[in-house]
Amino acid sequence: MSDALLKFFASLIPVIFLLSILFALVRKVRVYDSFTEGAKGAIPLITSLFPYVATVMMLTKALQTSGLEDKLIEWITPLFRFLHVPSEIAELVFVKPLSGSGATAMLADIIEKYGVDSYIGRCACVVAGSSETVFYIGAVYFAERKKPRLRAALVIALLSYLLSVVISCLLCSIL
Amino acid sequence: MLHTDPQSFLPAVLSGASSAATLCLSLLATYAFWLGVMRLWEDSGITRMISKLLKPIVGRLFKLQNEESKRAVAMNVAANLLGLGGAATPFGIKAAKLLEEEENERYSSSMLFALNATSLQLIPTSIVAMRAALGCPSPASVILPILLSSACSAVCSILLVRLFIRPTTVPKKASEKRGIGVRQTVGDKFFRRQPNARKAGKTGRREAGRI
Repeated sequence: MSDALLKFFASLIPVIFLLSILFALVRKVRVYDSFTEGAKGAIPLITSLFPYVATVMMLTKALQTSGLEDKLIEWITPLFRFLHVPSEIAELVFVKPLSGSGATAMLADIIEKYGVDSYIGRCACVVAGSSETVFYIGAVYFAERKKPRLRAALVIALLSYLLSVVISCLLCSIL
Repeated sequence: MLHTDPQSFLPAVLSGASSAATLCLSLLATYAFWLGVMRLWEDSGITRMISKLLKPIVGRLFKLQNEESKRAVAMNVAANLLGLGGAATPFGIKAAKLLEEEENERYSSSMLFALNATSLQLIPTSIVAMRAALGCPSPASVILPILLSSACSAVCSILLVRLFIRPTTVPKKASEKRGIGVRQTVGDKFFRRQPNARKAGKTGRREAGRI
């Protein structure tokens, strides 16, 4: 069943692409012109994004190598224990809002170490699946704005992230 | 780090920057594709159809007036739900830019950010694919918990944004006439803010403060 499911998702994007081209043809849109016109926008978009993405990633890297991150994880572990989040995934929980690729690598590590269907492996999967790279999204979405005014929203996003982590671990122990 | 290994600072930061550069390059490719598709959708009217479908929800949740920004937000939400992250981002950036001109600029863009940061999607494709690739016998078993927990965090952020970042719901003139223009949120009380205190008049304020 899951194989069929995966195949379905793999074919979702090409199918959407084909359908949108067909639909555009029916609507008599000039497909090539329109597509290139849109793709043109990618370059200015990336140039405006780059400084923000670079800053976030440099900070992340500095945080990791300086050992500050390990310290923070150490401090936060009692809180996690209180919330019944297994300490094995504390690092993943910490990295996920900062860096997507880092979190993916960490998730693979955890799964390899503890097994895909172990409690910890499942917890890690659910935590990673039900959250986003909060800081990265903030940097990207609001790069082109003059005054982002996002401090409150950032706090809210991080709080909900923590909630989703707690709920994930709870659900994994029940389901 | 300063007393253990100061030499590793610059290489570490630079490696961060260079992974940002590679990330941006791959993003350039992704965005070229999705922005092209996005333009195609806009020109052929698909965007308008989807946003019409989602308009009731989007209009309520984000309190938007402008048609164009409604459309961008609706497309962002739709792409997120379908799990097309590559498509969601350009729409989100566009929406964030358009929201800047909205009346409820702070509220609606906070909502946009909070919703996008919760990764609410119908099927968490990437995780399922990863589990399958690692040889898990039941890769789909995490779908339900992921769905539940991301739904919880989405609801939580929506509520918190509503609570702490005040939407000025009604167009100002009408509400002032009726004398209910000032809505004090829990957030206002919490931070001892007085929304438009001078304008509201004393009685209105006192009542609002007591809620």
